[in-house]
Amino acid sequence: MIPELGRRFMQTVIVLFGVSMVTFLLMHAAPGHPLQTNPELRLDPTAVERWLQLHQLDQPLISQYLAWLSRVFRGDFGESLLYNRPVLELMGERLPSTLLLTLTAFVLALFLAIVVGIKIATQQNSWLDRFVCTLSLAGISVPYFWLAMVLVLLFAYRFPFLPAVGMRTPGDGSILDILKHMLLPLIVMVIANFARYVRYVRSAVLDVLQQDYVRSAIARGLKGKDILYRHVLPNAAMPIITVAALSLPMLFTGAMVAEYVFAWPGLGRFIVTSTMARDYPVIMTVNLYTASLVAIANFIADALYLLIDPRLR
Amino acid sequence: MRQIITIVIIFMLLICTGCQNNNSAKESSLHVAALTGPLTMNPLFLRDAASAEVAALLHPQLLVTDPKTLMPQARLFSSWQLLEDNLTYVFSLHEDAYWSDGKPVTAEDVAFTMRVICHPDYTGPLFQPLRYITGAEGYKLEHSSPYADGDISGIEVIDEKTLKISLKENYAPFLTMLTFAPVPAHILSGVEVAQMESHTYSHQLPVSAGPYLLVEWNDEYLHVRANPHYFLGKPSINNIYYRYIPNQEAQLIELLAGKLDLIPTAVKVEDIKNLKNNPDIKIYHNPRLVYDYLALNTRKADSPLSNKKVRKAFTLLLNRQEIVKNLLLNYGTPLYGPILPLHFPYKETQAVDEVDLAAARRLLVEAGYKKLKLDLIYNVGNTVRENVALLLKEQAAKVGIDIQINLLEWEAFLSAVNEGDYDLAILGRGVEADPDLTFHWHSQSRGNSLGYANSEVDHLLEQGVATMDKNEREKIYQAAEAMIVEDVPAIWLYVREAIHAATVKLQNFNPHPENIFYNVHEWTLADEEEVS
Repeated sequence: MIPELGRRFMQTVIVLFGVSMVTFLLMHAAPGHPLQTNPELRLDPTAVERWLQLHQLDQPLISQYLAWLSRVFRGDFGESLLYNRPVLELMGERLPSTLLLTLTAFVLALFLAIVVGIKIATQQNSWLDRFVCTLSLAGISVPYFWLAMVLVLLFAYRFPFLPAVGMRTPGDGSILDILKHMLLPLIVMVIANFARYVRYVRSAVLDVLQQDYVRSAIARGLKGKDILYRHVLPNAAMPIITVAALSLPMLFTGAMVAEYVFAWPGLGRFIVTSTMARDYPVIMTVNLYTASLVAIANFIADALYLLIDPRLR
Repeated sequence: MRQIITIVIIFMLLICTGCQNNNSAKESSLHVAALTGPLTMNPLFLRDAASAEVAALLHPQLLVTDPKTLMPQARLFSSWQLLEDNLTYVFSLHEDAYWSDGKPVTAEDVAFTMRVICHPDYTGPLFQPLRYITGAEGYKLEHSSPYADGDISGIEVIDEKTLKISLKENYAPFLTMLTFAPVPAHILSGVEVAQMESHTYSHQLPVSAGPYLLVEWNDEYLHVRANPHYFLGKPSINNIYYRYIPNQEAQLIELLAGKLDLIPTAVKVEDIKNLKNNPDIKIYHNPRLVYDYLALNTRKADSPLSNKKVRKAFTLLLNRQEIVKNLLLNYGTPLYGPILPLHFPYKETQAVDEVDLAAARRLLVEAGYKKLKLDLIYNVGNTVRENVALLLKEQAAKVGIDIQINLLEWEAFLSAVNEGDYDLAILGRGVEADPDLTFHWHSQSRGNSLGYANSEVDHLLEQGVATMDKNEREKIYQAAEAMIVEDVPAIWLYVREAIHAATVKLQNFNPHPENIFYNVHEWTLADEEEVS
């Protein structure tokens, strides 16, 4: 198991290296730099030139990349060209609010999906099963942007007992205040994730329920609960872990739709605006960070497979 | 399962009822909406709209311009005098101006700020007016110390509150461009100019002298507090929260729910009707210094648009008064030349709308074109431009011009415009408070993105900035405008107004075309009882 994991780890490092190089080249292939995107900006050409020099953007690409790489190895991810502050500091400020929302939504959605998914799988074709399946289909099909706006209209405007946007009431920021602000974006995200997960859980459990060893367990007269928890769940867990692990990176990069509609301060919005503005150090760090998350999520999924499924060891 | 649902419902109810609006806030607060947050608090490095907007809250501008006439007005410079040589200005600083740490704002602070701007390592946008100061260009080229020390011969500190500035040649727009704010020399004089933008001063703003002082700047809002020692008097509204809400619909909902007090500038015309019916909300609007126009690209090889008759035909296709009436619901002014209604040389009589399809067709035939195929680009998310594009396509089809519309995402749009990869484009332009047309229309200017070149116009524009007499300048710019319009380098469309929505409680809100916080120190919030 350990050598297998070690091999995976080495692969991950190589992938990250490749990602950083491709990102760097692609990013510089895009036209313009942060001071050049708008032709109406009345900046003196000499000021622009000096600015490029000060930020070492006038150097050849290769030396820029190598300089960046050596700084990263020393743990220095550079300063944002827009904010003129360390990238890590800027990301660090935004990560907690993103995590608060995405992690809560993830845990709630997964928990609900597992509970409901098992329930409806054991009562296949019952009215509850049909109801949840229809609902989850609707949940997958509905654009979240629209759903979010409907919720805002309903609960922040028609029956205004919830705030429409933001994470804190300026000047308040108590836990209760944050919970209140969190409710609407949370509902949207839980619906979105639940709708996806519950179908996976249901089909995974159904799949296992039809296996011979479950039938023989029933024939041996084991109790329903024992069968479910001892025989069904561990085997149904694999596909669920895959789906859950693959959605991990999204938790750390934020939920763009929720952050935009609900003006939730977080990483997602920061990433998009920085990319639009060609904030190179932020783009590089974010890409490396996202790639690492994907790699780590895969790594975790692999490790969990090895733990759960003895056949893979 | 049932227990979980019960718990969740109880939890939700708790949250909803838990904290009702506690009216303990004795202090007045104003919540202002913004689409994005600022990037810096440093007044010398304002490159984005949000930073420039909040800078007016935090910093005192040297001079401002009148929101109606755009003539220079006193601010931190409480008075000024132009000596007889027409080149030397003597400025007096406001006697009561103090930094928030108690030190007076001095002529040396202003001189230091100007040296920073003229320093070779300065990368902000403010050098243009200062290049006319005697010795400024030399300082920019030759100053070797990394600090903004030394002297610029045209900047002379007479005493603590008096500053003398000499220009090397007449430059009429000079005063209207002195609208930036000084930085405190006692905090920043020991900082290398190259490091000034990333210095903590830019993020934490420990010392400032504007109507409001920074309390908190996070990724959700900016909180500022009234400066009790502001030289024009302590502002009446205690707190201003500048909240970044990227979604305009959400902004409206928050305004209607009473959680926002002001949506500046970006209210859409289609929302006005709803807002006007609301007794708690008042709509304000004012002309801006930006306009939309149809660019006719003549830089492409063998473009039919190089033929003036073809360009002239385009002037006969659109009725701009109808566009303003139907698409902008009259929140705008039709435009027929590069001088804007707010500028002093503007002539109202120039407004003539002649849609004449037969004449347009005749011009095309004379130019040797029976049928034409052209592409038109504009950017996503601007419904007015979209409708203008469709209208133009429809009208052009009637005279045999087939217009292919290409809707582009902002970055792609900018790159197409920069590279001249289009025939027609609907674009916006921003202009300065001074009517000077050099930036966009002088053949040697880097802002002349249309590649317009007319040596007579060049000559007039050079004369225009060198002439100090307002009446003479008026004549010069009207003559230049007539020539530019005659050459048809573009079809001017309209000036859109800035539309603001505010709670009726907000009083004395008098937005400047360039800056909504122009008179923020005079704003007041009436009590709810008072209003009703």
